[in-house]
Amino acid sequence: MKTLDAQASATAGGADPGWLAARRKTALDYYDKLDMPSDREEVWRYVDFDFALDDFNLVDAPGEAHEVDTGIAAALPETAGSMRLVDGLTTEVHNADARATFGSLRALLAEHADLFEPYVARGTPSDLNKFAAAHTAFSGDGAVLVVPAGIAIEEPFFIDVQATTSGTASFPLITLVAEQSSQASVVIRYRSDDDVNALVVPNLELCVGDNSHLKVTVVQHWGGATTSVSHLRAVVGRDGTLHLGEAGLGGALSRLQLQIDLEGDGSSANVVGAYFGDETQTLDYRYTMHHQGLNTDSDMFLKGAVQDDALSIFTGMIRIDEEAQKTNAFQTNRNLILSDGASAQSVPNLEILANDVRCGHGSTMGPLDDEQRYYLMSRGLDEPRSNRLLVHGFFNEALARFPEPAIAGVVTSWIDAKYRAAQEAGRV
Amino acid sequence: MATALQVSGVRASYGDLEILKGVDIEVPFGEVHVLMGPNGSGKSTLCHVLMGKDEYEATGSALVDGTEVMGLPVDERARTGLFEAFQYPVEVPGVSLDDLLREMDEVRDDPEFQDRVEAMTETLDMSRFRDRAVNGGLSGGEKKRSEMFQMAVAGAKVAILDEIDSGLDIDAVRDVAHLVEELRSDDLGVLLITHYSRILRYMNPDKIHVMVDGEVVRTGGPEIAAELEASGYVDLVANEASIPTPEVTPFDI
Repeated sequence: MKTLDAQASATAGGADPGWLAARRKTALDYYDKLDMPSDREEVWRYVDFDFALDDFNLVDAPGEAHEVDTGIAAALPETAGSMRLVDGLTTEVHNADARATFGSLRALLAEHADLFEPYVARGTPSDLNKFAAAHTAFSGDGAVLVVPAGIAIEEPFFIDVQATTSGTASFPLITLVAEQSSQASVVIRYRSDDDVNALVVPNLELCVGDNSHLKVTVVQHWGGATTSVSHLRAVVGRDGTLHLGEAGLGGALSRLQLQIDLEGDGSSANVVGAYFGDETQTLDYRYTMHHQGLNTDSDMFLKGAVQDDALSIFTGMIRIDEEAQKTNAFQTNRNLILSDGASAQSVPNLEILANDVRCGHGSTMGPLDDEQRYYLMSRGLDEPRSNRLLVHGFFNEALARFPEPAIAGVVTSWIDAKYRAAQEAGRV
Repeated sequence: MATALQVSGVRASYGDLEILKGVDIEVPFGEVHVLMGPNGSGKSTLCHVLMGKDEYEATGSALVDGTEVMGLPVDERARTGLFEAFQYPVEVPGVSLDDLLREMDEVRDDPEFQDRVEAMTETLDMSRFRDRAVNGGLSGGEKKRSEMFQMAVAGAKVAILDEIDSGLDIDAVRDVAHLVEELRSDDLGVLLITHYSRILRYMNPDKIHVMVDGEVVRTGGPEIAAELEASGYVDLVANEASIPTPEVTPFDI
């Protein structure tokens, strides 16, 4: 294994084109200079890291992959293409739809050295924090999708991201591009076994071209010992639409920091989340919706539950530029606290510089509703069953808005099972 | 055959406040009884106490088809055959009526449950509500229709309809009254709780019970409704002091 140093950075991607090598070098400088984030900074508040990045190493070769589990496979009977990244490196690619460019970043860079530069340049900047710097410095591979202008692809693309080797850090880069007037759907699945103590730092870069429609579904199902610190940056062009759903189920600590720039006039973003933490999990969401164009719409709708000693964090920022008149922007975060030891933080923020906008936010937190439980019990359902139905319904409100209904169905069954297991163990 | 509902000496208090002071009511199978009374007389408390809501201290006996339900958890009372139609049915977000029906079926050993669901969906024109959230975004009348639908499919032996006419406009009151009559059966006893006599114009109750200050002070035939309509609760129970008169029709909610 390779330690996270200058030599590892220089060789991480194999033969980098010049522009990428230059980015890496800059990022490595930031990586060396920046301190580990501290909970004294607002954007890292509530989170404490008990490790250092260089506790982890890069793999020499990917570990043995898991097959896709049956639930996901059944939900995706047909894909427009699928690929697998294991410990940060591509292990297989099946490209079914020849109209799109889809596959391993490293392989495609070798063929089209300059194709991705403008997209990658729009992604999360490497000076954002030490993890973002490490990502650019050490990322060895990733997944790329470019849907050309005017092409609409119905079947989803599937990207299976796995961590299999304890002690390793991996930095998968996922770049998804929908060119003008195109349409695509992508499902990203993160997984690892419960005993894999790995650090995964994915970056997602989404470019939604003018008048295009991109659907992205992220299913985060890391094992209980895996830590993930991910960033997502999206740019949406004129009349473009981004529909993003994230389900957060696993991980010792799993963080997603995202920023969506509604750059084009008439652009919109629909962001849905469903997350469920138990035991000592921390699920950490930091969302920024940045309205820049005229007549832009956004809706963030996240529902989270915590039980045992889990902690969840949602901070949502709606930023409306002075030029972004006629904006409609809403964020909703509802939290279910299922155990006395569990806690949730929910911090909605607004920063509005325009004067002709509609904007709203709502945040709630509490246990299951007694009146709803009484109603269900009056129909003959015993208390545990009533509670299960209420938890199911709570998440269903979010999952019903997910971009891929079949995937939402699988996530629903996992969430139901997670709550049921806690019930059967007498934890809730 | 036992009577559908036999309530004897039911007392209930909320904290230090005694609300029910010994209630006796009998509803035979096949009959529809009405329990009337002014605000604060304890009608809704009786309903909750019979269903088993845990915020009251309650004593006494309530037999559902001969089975004692006092002391049982809410869900066991329901499976014994007791059904409460709520005054304000709570919305259950994200849970469709079909989800609820599936769970109701699973907890009952009742091979005819599904048949009733299909039959009653047709009879009560419920198909458009089954994939919607329970009570979500329904009008007052639609919520009451959904309650009556659930009553019919649950296979209830006793239905307590808690002010199913409140908050409805006059057309909806008539509709719900007709539903009660339509669902009348030899296997069911109904106790309809109401504050207003107007719903009685559209149905034929077998008996009317008047409750004041936690006790049933009068039981009689439908003629009581006519008296109430004419004079309100004050004259009807002349020996009870300082009883508020019924209010005018409330705003729809």
